[in-house]
Amino acid sequence: MALQEPVLTKRIPTPPFGDFSQRKLNSYEDFVATGGYAALKKAIDMQPSEIIDIMKASELRGRGGAGFPAGVKWSFLPPQDGKPRYLAVNSDESEPGTFKDRMLLDFDPHILLEGIAICMRACQLDTTYIYIRGEYHHQAKVLNKAIDEAYANNIFGPNSIMGKINDREPRCFVHRGAGAYICGEETALLNSLEGKRGWPRIKPPFPAVAGAFGRPTIINNVETLAMCGPIIDKGVDWFKTMGVARPDGVPPHVPASYGPKLIGVSGHVNRPGVYEENLGITVREMIEKYCGGMRNGKKFKSCVPGGIAMGVLSTDQIDAPLDFDIGKKFGCLGLGTAGVIVMDEDTDMVAVARNIVRFFSHESCGQCTPCREGSNWVYKTLCRIEEGNGTTADLDLLLEVSGSQGAMPGTTICGLADGTNWAIKTILNKFWSDFESRVSVSTIAGYSLPVLA
Amino acid sequence: MAWITKNSGTMQIETREEPYLDDELKAEIEANIIPRYPDRRAATLPTLHAVQHKVGWLPTQALKEIADFLGSAPSEVMDTATFYEEYWLKPKGKYVIWLCQSISCELMGRDTIMSKIKAKLNIEPGETTEDGKFTLMNVECLGSCGTAPCGLVNEKLHENMTVDNIDQILDSLE
Ligand SMILES: Cc1cc2nc3c(=O)[nH]c(=O)nc-3n(C[C@H](O)[C@H](O)[C@H](O)COP(=O)(O)O)c2cc1C
Ligand code: SF4
Ligand code: FES
Repeated sequence: MALQEPVLTKRIPTPPFGDFSQRKLNSYEDFVATGGYAALKKAIDMQPSEIIDIMKASELRGRGGAGFPAGVKWSFLPPQDGKPRYLAVNSDESEPGTFKDRMLLDFDPHILLEGIAICMRACQLDTTYIYIRGEYHHQAKVLNKAIDEAYANNIFGPNSIMGKINDREPRCFVHRGAGAYICGEETALLNSLEGKRGWPRIKPPFPAVAGAFGRPTIINNVETLAMCGPIIDKGVDWFKTMGVARPDGVPPHVPASYGPKLIGVSGHVNRPGVYEENLGITVREMIEKYCGGMRNGKKFKSCVPGGIAMGVLSTDQIDAPLDFDIGKKFGCLGLGTAGVIVMDEDTDMVAVARNIVRFFSHESCGQCTPCREGSNWVYKTLCRIEEGNGTTADLDLLLEVSGSQGAMPGTTICGLADGTNWAIKTILNKFWSDFESRVSVSTIAGYSLPVLA
Repeated sequence: MAWITKNSGTMQIETREEPYLDDELKAEIEANIIPRYPDRRAATLPTLHAVQHKVGWLPTQALKEIADFLGSAPSEVMDTATFYEEYWLKPKGKYVIWLCQSISCELMGRDTIMSKIKAKLNIEPGETTEDGKFTLMNVECLGSCGTAPCGLVNEKLHENMTVDNIDQILDSLE
């Protein structure tokens, strides 16, 4: 079933409920006039543990890529010990194909601030840092202005309507990054916040136990937090009418895909943009119903389901539902950020693979050898194939080198290398003939893949 | 690439009498930035941003001044400054053109726009025009993939770039 009413896009006109051209920044007054901060007032009347219970019951899953249930994460915090506790908001949004958080920041910053305040109260976190990528100059300004409005209206600050949190005045700041994709990884983000280079940390300890400045820290994506207000306001039952329920027989501890999701579509479609739909909408519906079909009447060839780290879907997987189970069912890493990049029949998949791996090679932080060296190696091999100088042995090599890197084979600190791994693996396996037709048969003995008919 | 090491060991450091991080800027950071964090080192990124905003780039002397101001070792500030692509450790042009090279922008034709800019300015990515007006850079995804191809000129985002409107964009800059 399609989304019945806009949730996160309530104040951001979006087809089919509104028109992109009508989008404008919502001030504090606009936000309050349309029901904003009512959920925070409700949350203030609840015990912090009640708020966490609601978030847990809603099964809201993180919208930043990994899909971890937010309420469960919140319940990992140790008891208060009188010292500071932090919220770090992940607004680093740098995964190619992802531009959804930007839309919230551009037009409705207070929906994020309300979610932040609810999270601070629920988890008893006194200080929030919104880590925003350096390139979002305009969004940082909008956010700073919205934070000023929020202080002026006692959402944060010494006279906050939340009173003291963790025995301190609730505070909220913007912290600007400076151009490094890896700072979106949560522990790299913490190092960057502390003024260091953005190197991911080995986990454990997890940030909820020892995060920013060694203190308990919750890290959530912008969209995850923005969803908190509507859930507190309208309740768990309402939230669970949207999205995909747990199939019969699946145990209750396995999270389902409830709720609406911001889906950013880019690439070869007529009307790219950020839309909101229930989790579970198919790629085909997104393209046809929302994006005005394929550009120039071309045929669909492939798409990235949610940021390039997820790998690609094959031509016949166009009916894949965009939910958190997409990885298991359609041979990709997962839903990621639901930033869908659509490619038409004329797309050269060798060039796509080369571009994607160049990204990961460029953005590798350099700590782990398989990631730093491997991604560069894979990139060079792909350039060679693209230039017409590759052999079948190169295809073997691509699969071997990319397949041996990542937090999932357990050779690297963070998940960036999994992006290289999954992108290559899925593009190569799903578009094998595109590669095979570009390489000559290897003459190196013992290192040649049989050429498939 | 953040992990390329820089030849800082044998580097000659140019110095000047007048500080880059002057008393006024120090006072402003002390009042508005430092109180946000539990320690001074956390103000490294905002301070680097502030100095770069004022000076245009980050001379080594400025890194040393920032280290003294924040109570860090100069090597710590250097370590941070070299990691992030937005920090300029050498002078840049008056306008930096950052053209996105990631996948959505490539699919939507960023290569022809890059060729056009290169030809028009007669420079390669990473270079600055002789008059010091433009620096051209390739950059990864700017988070505006729905309006690809796109690029930043200093702090301003330009969306849906075409070979035609890039002329207007560049010609309109003083
Ligand atoms: C290489 C890498 C880059 C990431 N970039 C981002 C990002 O830009 N924004 C984001 O919200 N999460 C990003 N994440 C996921 C975060 O580590 C973390 O899971 C997320 O912010 C948690 O928030 P959520 O549970 O609300 O999704 C990234 C992860 C990895 C491994
Ligand atoms: S996997 Fe790559 S990006 Fe992640 S910590 Fe290791 S080297 Fe850095
Ligand atoms: S790919 Fe160019 S802005 Fe995202």
